[in-house]
Amino acid sequence: MNNLLTKDRQPRVDWLMMAALAGLMVVGVLFVYSATMVSEATIPVALHRQPWMRQIVWCVAGLVAMGMVCLIDYRILARWSLVLYGGTILLLLAVLVVGSDQGWGAKRWIVLGPFQLQPSEFAKIGFILALGNFLSRPADELRSISIFWKALIMLALPFLLIMKEPDLGSALILLPVGLTMLYVAGVPPRFINTLLGAAGVVVALILVDVLFAPPKWQIKLEDYQRRRLLVYFGIDGIPADATPKQRAEVRKEMRNYSYNVEQALISVGSGGLLGKGWCEGTQNALGYLPRSVAHNDFIFSVIAEEKGFMGSVTVVSLYSVLLFTGLRVAGQARDRLGRLLAVGVVAMFFSHVFINIGMNIRLMPVTGVPLPLLSYGGSSVLSSLIAAGLLQNIYIHRRS
Amino acid sequence: MLIFDQLKKNDPHLRVITWGVLLGVLTLLAGLWWVQVFSYRHYSENQKAQSFRTVRIPPVRGKILDRGGQPLADNQPSFNLSLYLNELREQFTFQYTNRVMPEWRRANPGKGRPRGVESADLKRLARYLAASNVVQSLNGALQESLRLDWQKFHRHYQSQLALPLPILANMTPEQVARFHERFVNPPGVDIDLQPVRYYPNGSLAAHILGYLTYDDSSIEGEESFFNFRLPDYRGKVGIEAQFDADLHGRAGVKSVLVNSLGYRQSETTWEESLPGRNVVLTIDHAIQRAAEEALNSVASNTRGAVVVMDPNTGDILALVSTPAFDPNHFIPRITHEEYARLTDPKLRPQINRAMQENYAPGSIFKVVIALAALEEGLHPAQTISSPGYIYIGRRQIKDTAPPGEYNFRRAFIRSCNTYFITNGLDAGAEAIVKLGHRLHLGEKTGLLPGQETPGYFPSVATVKSSAWRDGDTANLCIGQGALSVTPLQMAVMVAAIANGGKVLWPRLVDRIEPQEAGTEPPIVFPHRPVRDNLGVKERTLTIVREAMAADVEDEEGTGRAAAVPGMRVCAKTGTAQVTDPQNRVIDHTTWFASFAPHENPRYVVVVMVESGTSGGGTCAPVARKIYEALLKMEAAKSGLAQK
Repeated sequence: MNNLLTKDRQPRVDWLMMAALAGLMVVGVLFVYSATMVSEATIPVALHRQPWMRQIVWCVAGLVAMGMVCLIDYRILARWSLVLYGGTILLLLAVLVVGSDQGWGAKRWIVLGPFQLQPSEFAKIGFILALGNFLSRPADELRSISIFWKALIMLALPFLLIMKEPDLGSALILLPVGLTMLYVAGVPPRFINTLLGAAGVVVALILVDVLFAPPKWQIKLEDYQRRRLLVYFGIDGIPADATPKQRAEVRKEMRNYSYNVEQALISVGSGGLLGKGWCEGTQNALGYLPRSVAHNDFIFSVIAEEKGFMGSVTVVSLYSVLLFTGLRVAGQARDRLGRLLAVGVVAMFFSHVFINIGMNIRLMPVTGVPLPLLSYGGSSVLSSLIAAGLLQNIYIHRRS
Repeated sequence: MLIFDQLKKNDPHLRVITWGVLLGVLTLLAGLWWVQVFSYRHYSENQKAQSFRTVRIPPVRGKILDRGGQPLADNQPSFNLSLYLNELREQFTFQYTNRVMPEWRRANPGKGRPRGVESADLKRLARYLAASNVVQSLNGALQESLRLDWQKFHRHYQSQLALPLPILANMTPEQVARFHERFVNPPGVDIDLQPVRYYPNGSLAAHILGYLTYDDSSIEGEESFFNFRLPDYRGKVGIEAQFDADLHGRAGVKSVLVNSLGYRQSETTWEESLPGRNVVLTIDHAIQRAAEEALNSVASNTRGAVVVMDPNTGDILALVSTPAFDPNHFIPRITHEEYARLTDPKLRPQINRAMQENYAPGSIFKVVIALAALEEGLHPAQTISSPGYIYIGRRQIKDTAPPGEYNFRRAFIRSCNTYFITNGLDAGAEAIVKLGHRLHLGEKTGLLPGQETPGYFPSVATVKSSAWRDGDTANLCIGQGALSVTPLQMAVMVAAIANGGKVLWPRLVDRIEPQEAGTEPPIVFPHRPVRDNLGVKERTLTIVREAMAADVEDEEGTGRAAAVPGMRVCAKTGTAQVTDPQNRVIDHTTWFASFAPHENPRYVVVVMVESGTSGGGTCAPVARKIYEALLKMEAAKSGLAQK
């Protein structure tokens, strides 16, 4: 009886989170439309090939996937986590072999008929599940250094594979996710501090190496990655013995690379308080914001230009609701596994949002990280909704 | 609330994470506030600047006028037909859905839709078809066979979408009328008007005016960044080049606001172009025309020059060089055939023969010998017996004048070499050269920079050196050898004799004035002070002037072909030998240096013809025609004054 009563009082799913997700999906479809339909090239394209329509299809597919994830108790899912993790690792290996670069110079996609699968998006979820499952063991065992090392290996495997594609942004997302989960799991702080310190030193060394070391001593980084970093740190990286012509050439290249950032910033800034109105933005339409990125990685600048600061606040608020309901789910989880999984998903969402919006306002260097549910792209939408489904799953099976 | 619930809970790990997320979200909001609200103006100005395309509008070029205000270089409206692509957008789509797509489906049955590159190509085709249809539809009315160039169209679409695409330049008035008759409000086509340089008299005074070449770059003090530039021209030679800065004016700036697709939305003129100033010359277009006609009457493609000058002021009334070119041919661009004619090695129409080429003066230089000898004490009545030749050392110099007795007058009008060499040697090379220096031979007059050569005249040191022989002096006495002159210098020389000894600076530009009178004060180029003085006695000049008059009036005179009833012309003819490096005579330069009227000189006319037969035979008739025309003009003017 008591059980029944509580069931009546407690809703089966977190409707607040669902509302935020729905809001984000609607905004996403609207602005994918705005970002793509102003181009004359897309107007005569068939309805089912138009990006906004495809985005709707992906959202529906994602919602179905989300429902399916909710049907199976997360504890059962977690038992299969190593299989899922292994599967995504295999996909990441496959992408290195049969991957397509889609004209981007980086192999990130596997082409499956009309769809392009981006395995790195799903690898994140596989990683969260596996690490959550691994760390949900009794707290005493976490004090052992070997467990800590094993956790690090679980992190390193997808990290290195995604780096190899190369997709620096997606790979870097794994770091805060892994760290947060380790922290919340209760791994001794000294381990984490040492890890953080080591990571800091490594990152610093990499940066110094990339930015200042003579070419022979530099680690192999794709040219565009190096340039993005140089641009972000405002270094021209011209060797001292370069001829004036070489100098001019490098400067020109640098200008081209900083162009996206500059234009994104102009888009966001020119939106002002209220924006120019939906589909009225000129930055994207005139091609200043390159059409190839406006509807995915730089979708936020389109929203910010057309809807202004109020639009940006709305988007950030919707994400905040998602993040804080996610944390609430973590707090209400019936076991350590659920808590860890929820924290992992929240960390993943947060990292995406912070890096992506941050790069639009030059808070972060440009890395190809999509904005969950807003950026155009099937893999991203699907994996985001699966991750949200995981949160709902934990919520449904929360402690009463 | 959602957030504070988390923070209040006794769950240190989650609390830290919640704080972290909260901090991150607030950071983003603060950053967004900074960019979107605080720095809004900065970015919105940046953004606005990007939706504008600036266009350079060339100013209306100043005119070049003759002394009476007749335009020698003018601007005429050029009617250009242009396509406005922003108005054709519907037709682009129409062509795509109703023509290009059905055809593609027929060619590719079963294939769903064109993709990627193929689709872009089809769209290009549709745009071209739509625009091409519009162009074709005009052909009937305009009686033209216009075709839209595929490459040109796409290049324009890619890079200058916001600007009209010109399809027909320089429409005739009939075409303009027919266009307006047939099309009331045609979509996507319109006529625009641009001022274009135009020389109403064709090749008249071409060498003075010069020509323009296509150049749309910014000059100093002008806005230098433009997305687009409208066609503009720069003066290349002549007055067009020398006064380019004044004639050109200042380019204006127009900005075209483009809409979110890059098509033209509206236009704003930021800075009106500032029209160039007019340049008023001392040239009289009627005299110039008469002189050109007279010179051209010698033969077709006469290579020669005429200078008509006012001996009292130095004002150039006409400056002719033939063959000439038509400066209209340089607009918009010179054709290959025209260019071939311009660079003909024999005709060399680009050379201004009145100033830019050096010639031996021949017998007209005897005027200077006469002045020197008379000043050194020669008595005009004193006679010399000429055998028809003269020996200088072992070299014999032939005389065209027959053997006989010669006093100064007869020697002058028969151009007796023996007389002038004998008396020239008596006067001495130094006296001759000093006189030549006072005439500033071998020096530029500065009339048209880049179109003048100084010629050559020996210095005193040269004639005093041991290398200088009597033979050299003898050559000088008959205007051959170590000297070369331009017709303009000869005009200055004759003017000095006519005006009582004043060596003048020739003047070509009278003033620069604004196109709209009264908007700014004109810049007047005053007559410069006399350059030099001959420093000879008035009596000497009188004797020479009398001899020059006799050269035309006397039955025996070489210049009698220049006699004009009603005006006493004073002249000296010349036929200079042109020799090759082996000293063989290969050609003749013929001269006629004159002034008129005798009592009160108003005109100096110097005629030079390359490859003529003789000064009296070739050039004197040319001068006569010019004087006749001058007389007629004077009569017309006084008739007008009497009425």
